[in-house]
Amino acid sequence: MTSAVTIPRHGGTGGRTAVAARARQVVKAYGAGETRVVALDHVDVDIARGQFTAIMGPSGSGKSTLMHCLAGLDTVTSGQIYLDDTEITGLKDKKLTQLRRDRIGFIFQAFNLLPTLNAIENITLPMDIAGRKPDRQWLARVVDTVGLADRLKHRPTQLSGGQQQRVAVARALAARPEIIFGDEPTGNLDSRAGAEVLGFLRQSVDELGQTIVIVTHDPVAASYADRVLYLADGRIVDEMYKPTAEAVLDRMLCFSGGHPQTPDFDARGRTS
Amino acid sequence: MTVMKTSMRNFFAHKGRMALSAIAVLLSVGFVCGTLVFTDTMNTTFDKLFAATSSDVTVSAKGASDTGETTSDNGKPPVMPASVVGRVKSAQGVKAAEGTVFSTSVTVVDAKKDNLSPSSGAPTIVGSWNGNDARTMKITSGAAPKGSDQVMVDADTADKHHLKLGDTLAMISAVGTHDAKISGIASFQVTNPGAAIFYLDTRTAQQTLVGKTGVFTNVNVTAASGVSDARLKQNVVSALGGHYKVQTAKETADANQKSVESFMNVMKYAMLGFAGIAFVVGIFLIINTFSMLVAQRTREIGLMRAIGSSRKQVNRSVLAEALLLGVTGSVLGIGAGVGLAVGLMKLMGQMGMHLSTADLTVAWTTPVVGLVLGVVVTVLAAYLPARRAGKVSPMAALRDAGAPADAKAGVVRAVLGTLLTAGGGFCLYLAASADKATGGSLWLGLGVVLSLIGFVVIGPLLAGGVVRVLGAVLLRAFGPVGRMAERNALRNPRRTGATGAALMIGLALVACLSVVGSSMVASATDQLDKTVGTDFIIQSDGGQMITPQAVRAVKATPGLKRVTEYKTTEADYTTPDGRTLKNTDITAADPTYATDLRVKTVAGNLKDAYLPDSMSVHENFAKAHDVHLGSKIRIAFKDGATANLTVRAITSNDGLIDAGAKYTSIATLAKYVPADKMPLDQLVFATAKDGQQDAAYKSLKSALHDYPQYKVRDQTDYKKALKDQIGQLLNMIYGLLALAIIVAILGVVNTLALSVVERTREIGLMRAIGLSRRQMRRMIRMESVVIALFGALLGLGLGMGWGATAQKLLALQGLKVLEVPWSTLITVFVGSAVVGLVAALIPAFRAGRMNVLNAIATE
Repeated sequence: MTSAVTIPRHGGTGGRTAVAARARQVVKAYGAGETRVVALDHVDVDIARGQFTAIMGPSGSGKSTLMHCLAGLDTVTSGQIYLDDTEITGLKDKKLTQLRRDRIGFIFQAFNLLPTLNAIENITLPMDIAGRKPDRQWLARVVDTVGLADRLKHRPTQLSGGQQQRVAVARALAARPEIIFGDEPTGNLDSRAGAEVLGFLRQSVDELGQTIVIVTHDPVAASYADRVLYLADGRIVDEMYKPTAEAVLDRMLCFSGGHPQTPDFDARGRTS
Repeated sequence: MTVMKTSMRNFFAHKGRMALSAIAVLLSVGFVCGTLVFTDTMNTTFDKLFAATSSDVTVSAKGASDTGETTSDNGKPPVMPASVVGRVKSAQGVKAAEGTVFSTSVTVVDAKKDNLSPSSGAPTIVGSWNGNDARTMKITSGAAPKGSDQVMVDADTADKHHLKLGDTLAMISAVGTHDAKISGIASFQVTNPGAAIFYLDTRTAQQTLVGKTGVFTNVNVTAASGVSDARLKQNVVSALGGHYKVQTAKETADANQKSVESFMNVMKYAMLGFAGIAFVVGIFLIINTFSMLVAQRTREIGLMRAIGSSRKQVNRSVLAEALLLGVTGSVLGIGAGVGLAVGLMKLMGQMGMHLSTADLTVAWTTPVVGLVLGVVVTVLAAYLPARRAGKVSPMAALRDAGAPADAKAGVVRAVLGTLLTAGGGFCLYLAASADKATGGSLWLGLGVVLSLIGFVVIGPLLAGGVVRVLGAVLLRAFGPVGRMAERNALRNPRRTGATGAALMIGLALVACLSVVGSSMVASATDQLDKTVGTDFIIQSDGGQMITPQAVRAVKATPGLKRVTEYKTTEADYTTPDGRTLKNTDITAADPTYATDLRVKTVAGNLKDAYLPDSMSVHENFAKAHDVHLGSKIRIAFKDGATANLTVRAITSNDGLIDAGAKYTSIATLAKYVPADKMPLDQLVFATAKDGQQDAAYKSLKSALHDYPQYKVRDQTDYKKALKDQIGQLLNMIYGLLALAIIVAILGVVNTLALSVVERTREIGLMRAIGLSRRQMRRMIRMESVVIALFGALLGLGLGMGWGATAQKLLALQGLKVLEVPWSTLITVFVGSAVVGLVAALIPAFRAGRMNVLNAIATE
């Protein structure tokens, strides 16, 4: 699908749309009748290719649900979601699984790695499952970038939390997905390790042209993004380009009634 | 109280996870209770039967057995003169006395010469229709027999063989063959467990069964009112003097009951033994279940500890759950046991043994035994996991959740397991090299137990190596999915070890028995080839003697070179060391037997044992009783005179066929035993003239067509019969072992199902990053197959070791050839893989269906 060998296929727009993922009038509701809860209320959103997007919002705002729907992990009640030109709403489990395997990368908050596999096996797992051979050069570059070259044969239990998340980042990057979704990827890390991981994500956007979407409630994490989307009550209520931690925090205070959920808020800002 | 409440909540919250453990308890308890109810019911049935069929006091001839079965070697029941009836009548307190004749040494065939005897092993009884029978039987059609050409048959037999009034039956006894037409059909008023009964009128019965009139086998005495059976017995005894056997109804019933009971006990304890094996296997399942539940609940337990629960309380809460499980499983098991008993009764009905559910007997001890066993075993099995739960530190509550840490197999385990296994191996080695079977069997038993425990202990350590090898051979082909399956099977060696061990136990027994069984067949075949010098063996499968008319028919068959008769009887021996051996077997045969069976001798020539007043003994006997060539042994023949026989040959122990027999000639026997007491032939050997084997085989078969109770077998038939017999026995044992294997399979299902629950998040992660449902299911199936094959490999290896040792030990008793039944073993191995696939069906399905979002959702 790529036009040039030297340019990674997700680099730039490369002859493809500038929008990596789109949501159109997406509604996600649970239950029916009086107990009906609307998690997403007619959301329209475009995720720009080659950009780092952060989705923020208070608990229950629907930010995780939006990400799950965009990533093909969850189904929507109505509306459409496109990944590049492919409409993923309505796809059967088999197709969705393939799509996740081949075109999407994931970083979860915790429990990202299979305890039975060592670091490098975890990194190449999506490609192994697909029966694809990893691109050796690219793999070496990814591993090098996240600084894991000497930890590849270690099992997850032998790695620190920060190292484990770096392996998860490497796994997400290694398969060269069109888009990487992160669900609070630094939620379980201390600020230093978190900063490291976020730094890698930033770097992969800047240097490798990767498209990344993360869900976070940490203004510092959000400050690494190119663009921040604010969700409240299942709607996108605001957005911000080129955010700083302070600006994000200010904006959040407006939406959450003066009680930002920033347990490990760290005002030191970027360290990279 | 809170402890109990928590336990209850946990128990019901994890109903599903407990279900398989409960089924394991249910199956084991059910089998125990089923066995008890079934045997009790059989006993009740026989009790009722015997109580109903015996008269107040029965008088029989001195030589008669207590149970009334005809055991005389000459094929005729022991009788007394008719005058006894008159003398009994003269005794005080006798209301009535009636002489009867009956025999169980008779075969009855229909017009097509089909044998009407029950195939279940129940007796065929031909007797005179008398007042006592008239009380327990009701004539449902036709009339009682009158005159020599009439016979009445019981309704069950008539139904089974579609007999109608007017059909002709032939009764074959030692006296001859008597034909009669069915005059009536009578049905039992009490449950008849399956005997086939035929009635003649008294005179005909006397002629047919004994060969003369004026004799009776029994006198049934009825007491006048107010006279007790015991009193009546005393009166009858004093009237008759001590020449007859006199039994009250109770004594007769007790004697009968005793003979039934000894058979029933064999069956009962065999079945309870298999239930015991199932229990042992169930223990592994229960241990695994509780270990996994405790591991999954580590955080919760840590919290309980953190807020102040003591170790003891935590420990007790787990045991309380086990108690609930034990009670639930046992109660259900008791119910299942009654169901099983009813099922067995139906099955027996199919095989011709009629039992009535009205007699269903559930002794109060049965549920108690079931409940106690089930609960005690469950609680004991849960003890170790409960202790581990008690050791959970309060810190566990604070630690990160996720899959419990992989358990590492310890050094203690390695040392202990190796020691036990080595000890077991050494015992087996001693058993294999023992030169005395008695000492050797002790070593064998010890070796089996130690090596089994050793393997169980060391199993988790072996799991690593074996699973890796299996993985390299089987799983690598499946790429990353195979690799993950292998790693999953390896991640908790203790769990894999225990799951595999459960399967190992059953399969080890299967392998051991199949090795011994096929070695038996091979050894016997080998012996037959080497020692049997005759073409045809004639015998009955039910152990009946061969009647003289059948022997005549054999002798009259054209194309035969020689016919050898073979009889056994009993005698009291007085050996040179001065000791007397009561009721010891002696075999009398024609001198040609020395050619028909080439028995090795350690001294003398076997042919000489057939000289007048000569005999042979076997090596062990000679050693034990200081017998040498030329020694004289005083033989007091049963029903005959006393002889002094000279030992002219000492046979070697080295043989399976006729092992330990002491031979003399029929001519010698005839010298001391009167003609009418001569035992009938047990076996007849026939040898064809050279080159006429095929024709002779056909002629013999047709000569014996009228005697369906006897089978003619050439060597091929004989070997096949032997093989079938051993095969049947093995199949029965495999059938019973299936219970233990089913419990082990439940164990595999259980382990996988709990693993799937435990790995919810992993499964979610894998599904999120693109593992398809199909790949997920395949991964779990492969893990299951590897665990099953691990158990199979250990079990088969262990069982083959046991079997080979047993063969070496039994080589002393003629089991010379070791034959490993590879086809059976390979079938079992492949079968285990299939078992693994089947066990994984539901867990794999559930893993595939797991909701990805739930799985990855943070707590």
